[in-house]
Amino acid sequence: MKDIIIGIDLGTTNSEVAVVEQGKVRVIAGDGKTILPSFVGIDDHGNILVGETAKNQYLVYPERTVKSIKRLMGQDIQVPLAGQPYAPQEISAIILKRLKAIAEKHLGQPVGKAVITVPAYFSDAQRQATREAGEIAGLEVVRMINEPTAAALAYGASQSEAKRMLVYDLGGGTFDVSVVNIQSGVVEVLSSHGDNHLGGDDFDQKIIEHLLKHLQKTSHVDARDHSKAMARIARAAENAKILLSDQPYAQIEEEYLLEHEGSPVHLSVELSRMEYEAMIEDYINSTLDAVHIALKGAKLTASDIDEVILVGGSTRTPCVRERLFSEFGFEPHGEVDPDLCVAMGAAIQAAMISGEQVDTVLVDVTPYTYGTSAIGTLNGEFYPFMFVPVIHKNSVLPNRKTEAFMTNYDGQEFVEVAIYQGEYPDALNNTLIGEFRVEGLQNVAAGNVITLTLALDLNGILHVSAQEKATGLEKSIVIKNALSRFESTTLDTAKQRITSLFGQLEHNPDELGEPAPFEEPAAPEIEAARSVMAKAESLFERVSETDKEDMVDLIGTITACIKAKDIEGLKEPVDQLNDIIYYLES
Amino acid sequence: MKTPYELLAVEPEATDAAIKQAYLEKVKDNPPDRDQERFQLIHNAYLSIKDHKSRLSHTLFSVPTADFDELLDQALHVTQAPQVRPEHFKQLLRAGLDETNRLDAKLHAGKS
Repeated sequence: MKDIIIGIDLGTTNSEVAVVEQGKVRVIAGDGKTILPSFVGIDDHGNILVGETAKNQYLVYPERTVKSIKRLMGQDIQVPLAGQPYAPQEISAIILKRLKAIAEKHLGQPVGKAVITVPAYFSDAQRQATREAGEIAGLEVVRMINEPTAAALAYGASQSEAKRMLVYDLGGGTFDVSVVNIQSGVVEVLSSHGDNHLGGDDFDQKIIEHLLKHLQKTSHVDARDHSKAMARIARAAENAKILLSDQPYAQIEEEYLLEHEGSPVHLSVELSRMEYEAMIEDYINSTLDAVHIALKGAKLTASDIDEVILVGGSTRTPCVRERLFSEFGFEPHGEVDPDLCVAMGAAIQAAMISGEQVDTVLVDVTPYTYGTSAIGTLNGEFYPFMFVPVIHKNSVLPNRKTEAFMTNYDGQEFVEVAIYQGEYPDALNNTLIGEFRVEGLQNVAAGNVITLTLALDLNGILHVSAQEKATGLEKSIVIKNALSRFESTTLDTAKQRITSLFGQLEHNPDELGEPAPFEEPAAPEIEAARSVMAKAESLFERVSETDKEDMVDLIGTITACIKAKDIEGLKEPVDQLNDIIYYLES
Repeated sequence: MKTPYELLAVEPEATDAAIKQAYLEKVKDNPPDRDQERFQLIHNAYLSIKDHKSRLSHTLFSVPTADFDELLDQALHVTQAPQVRPEHFKQLLRAGLDETNRLDAKLHAGKS
């Protein structure tokens, strides 16, 4: 059987999996949907929920649900999920595992390898964490490619004439901009810039703050301490943001949000697009600044750009399009689905790596400068931590550069090598990503030559080695996730932990042979409905007879819909039941 | 070892556009994902001759047989001026006489 490599877009809010079949890229649907919300939760019975069901459960049980985990990747922290702490890698692994299962079901064969996309501006630590998440999920990450590049690849595959494009990728949690040259079947990234922590989530946050202020003013209540109310406010904010993409006003209505001094608090407020755009103006300005930095990096101006490609759900915000229009003088392109093109690009690259004939070849760059610190000068004065760049921003990947340094005093026995990522002339203002020491140097006068080699691989991961030139004494490291060192034993433990969480959902890959070999999982809507019903039943004992009657009626309707597999019909009774539960609990 | 011109299969007189086109064709046949070293070789060849400025410095300063250690020794112990071979010298003269090219090179240098 041929090894199939899948392409995965592991997004902050949504994730997708795609594959190339008979020369065609296809985003694979799980339960009829190509988009899997990046939510993970644990249900009443301790079962794991991923995607739509987890997203729905978030409102009822925010404490048992995790969202936007991508924002925490690469950080040494743990998130609580149903009382258990998890590393961000583990939560991401759960999402990857579901995507893997979706692909396996579609392909009818086990999948062990993937190309995963990461934001271009993802740091070394964030890339390592992503690779670890893949390993925990049982996926060998054969390549990580940058999201805007993947989008350009998906788009460029259909282009015959030479073009210069700007990819503006504003997702849920990250922003990237890349300048790309497409010519003769080569997608060549000329420059990349971005922000790791800027996206639609921040826009939501602005609306949430606005709503909280409104509640404070009208009802004198601080909703921050009420996790369920906050979950509803967050959903209302997101919905309002989406509405404002198409409408000038959004009406936000959340009844029985919480109880304050014995009386219920309702939220009712109208938000105009103008107010909303004023809230996010600073964010949009900083994306435009990044656009200019990227153009400068490519030694181009706005007039050299033939097309602007929009990627990521947040580019639906009308003012983003308006600002880009006034910058470039033409409408940005929207025909490639901004939610799916990244996964499609990953699949094209995966096919290329697995040896299939592909029409488009990719050449990418690093958005960061890497270097070391040495004794030197800063602003004309002696300074012991001068940053010495070795690999410059926007250098082509893979890249390998060597610099020579000398020992500072006679009989110096060791050198400390510190590796930084950043653009500042003062190394201490840049991010320290790793350090090591070369010991046992010859006892010679100052000026003993030490060569330092930095090599960036295609995944954007840095390999460092230092050598005493005279003796060949060498020390080398791969920059591991500098912040959260996931040793291989921990990785194995995490793998077992996540696998056991999946319980019987987990299938044995050896038994996979026939297409669709495991039990059809229920549609996410049905799973969500079941969890809401269970919740309702648990409240029966302490509710009034009329409420109970209403609930029993609704449960009857829902059960009938589940039996008839009427997903559409489910929505209304489930929403009504949810509302009653909120009311009863607040 | 092959010169950048040989690697990309272009004439020394080729235009920037022709060199770029030759480079892209080479990349298409040797994607970074298949053979990283080969790709790096091609890319470095392209960088050293991609425009007038880089071609000039390639002609003047690249010593065809130099390996890294030798270069390093030269950089660290400059005991003698680098040897300019007659054909390099001639090229240098030609470069200096070609006014339009020189302007071009200055312009590029000013931009970057």
